[in-house]
Amino acid sequence: MNEAEATFIAARHLAREGALLDRLDWDAWLELYREDAVYWVPGWIDEDTQTSDVRTQVSLIYHTRRDELLDRIIRIRSRKSVTAMPLPRTTHSASNVLVESFAPGRIAATAAFVVHEHHPRHRRSSTLFGRYDFEIVEEGGAWRYARKKIVLMNDLIPTIVDFYNI
Amino acid sequence: MQARPAFAIDVAAVVDDRPAEGVFRVRREAFTSPEIFDLELAHIFESTWVFIGLESQVRHPHDFVTTYIGRQPVVLSRAADGSLHCFLNSCRHRGAMVCPTRAGNKKMHVCRYHGWSYDSAGRSLAVAHIKDGQYRPEFQCAEHHLEPVARLSSYRGFVFASLSADVPPLEEHLGGAARLLDLVVDQGPQGLEYVPGEVRYTFAANWKFQFENGLDFYHFATTHAGYVEVLNHRVATGQMPQPRTYEDEATPEGVGSYTFPYGHAVMYAIRKQGRVHVRPIAEDPAVREELRSRVGADAFKWMLRQRNLTIFPNLQVVDISSLQLRVWRPLAPDLTEIESHCLAPVGESARAREMRIRHYEDFFNPTGLGSSDDNVMYELCQAGYEARSAGATQGYERGMAPARPDDPYSRELKIQPDGWAYGPVTFGDETCLQAGWREWKRLLLKGLSRASR
Repeated sequence: MNEAEATFIAARHLAREGALLDRLDWDAWLELYREDAVYWVPGWIDEDTQTSDVRTQVSLIYHTRRDELLDRIIRIRSRKSVTAMPLPRTTHSASNVLVESFAPGRIAATAAFVVHEHHPRHRRSSTLFGRYDFEIVEEGGAWRYARKKIVLMNDLIPTIVDFYNI
Repeated sequence: MQARPAFAIDVAAVVDDRPAEGVFRVRREAFTSPEIFDLELAHIFESTWVFIGLESQVRHPHDFVTTYIGRQPVVLSRAADGSLHCFLNSCRHRGAMVCPTRAGNKKMHVCRYHGWSYDSAGRSLAVAHIKDGQYRPEFQCAEHHLEPVARLSSYRGFVFASLSADVPPLEEHLGGAARLLDLVVDQGPQGLEYVPGEVRYTFAANWKFQFENGLDFYHFATTHAGYVEVLNHRVATGQMPQPRTYEDEATPEGVGSYTFPYGHAVMYAIRKQGRVHVRPIAEDPAVREELRSRVGADAFKWMLRQRNLTIFPNLQVVDISSLQLRVWRPLAPDLTEIESHCLAPVGESARAREMRIRHYEDFFNPTGLGSSDDNVMYELCQAGYEARSAGATQGYERGMAPARPDDPYSRELKIQPDGWAYGPVTFGDETCLQAGWREWKRLLLKGLSRASR
């Protein structure tokens, strides 16, 4: 693997994830994560500083197992959470992928993201944006997240943020 | 004959409060009218005590945090001598915000526009180039301090301020609700602090939906049914321990409320199932023992029960599997900003702190599995309240026919409340909302009468 190949693999992983989320194909989306994947959306301490220690600071979302992402899907599939009735329409866009390190079967990278969402009930569109810092590993021919950090820049959050709109 | 008020909406009629006839109704305009919204800001948020922060946010000399009282930006600051000050965050010269950052530590605040400077008590240090300013002598003699708020006081680390001097002393304002704040503050021998990482969010709905929902046990089973489904899944798959309880056998499950003068109220729940019985303060036997011996058995028992406390008009403290403090700022009739904090005893163990944070993230905030349901419900209510032809809502009358003659717990809590309610877990009292609405009406009518004088 050279850097161009690593960049391609990382970008394809993000593009695949975005498409699966936009199509509500959450079972396939979960498969992009290892069982022990860390999924982390840090909060902000002040204007310039993100939270950096999950044990002593509040994160927006912090999961250390794929099962915790599954919890979020179970909640929506229960048809009992008003947040998902209906779900917003989303378009995920990830770009500017930069590979930070790579080795056989392992790539660490950073990328910019923008998610546009439209809430049909409120006829309201909004945009969430920031950076993805992530590491993917190859297991049995499939690339999966070992960790994904989502830095949300516009953290005055309108109403709801969940796995499907970041 | 009395002159009719110039104001188009009859505020007194918005809250139809006839206890003798068993009627308590609120007209939907209270949530939708821009005129009422303006009155609320002027006569409630900018005329009574509002919560502005914790003393522990400004622990050291020259620490400051910025916030708002109603529409008005203010700075809470600790001066060189350790005293607390709160002043309007607006330069006396041309009005620019003097402290444009969220928080910091500064001996001196210099306005970035023309360089007027102030100390950490808000006192003027210098009007830049005053000698060459060709000012009249009257100006040279005038004071140029940042304008202090009319009243500033704190209760056990909770700081309140009022832009009007026409308020009772803070202790009187809080009254018996202070005992409920004690149950929060006393959870650690060194008081409370915010866990770093405040969360701010908005919902497209009126602030009073949050005020009401924070006292509303009735909504939990339906609004949060999806969350309950997740909890059941976690228990079934062994990801979460089986439910347990801190309650003894003799104590029945139940929910209830107490109300206090000036609109404050608490809703409580005594449960024997569900995740509410995993508390950071109850995990370590040594911590339990310290607590029980310091605060007494009754107070400790109540610390382990769900209590949702509202200090009218802008503060809620929710104590369940974690401890949340939220404060709101009305931005428009249909837009509210919430600032949410995880509250914690200073000096608790690393293990308890991490458990507290994970529980807090799980339920609260627009990213949690509970509060996000509430936010969407508020927006549905806001949209539904446009149906003015449907008349007043029927949302304030559960509990108006008490099933028992006496209240079970006020003696244990050492309070003499204005009102109480108690029933089974499916009861979901609504009379506790009435106290806030009565205070709402009192303050608006007081403000209108002052304005018309």
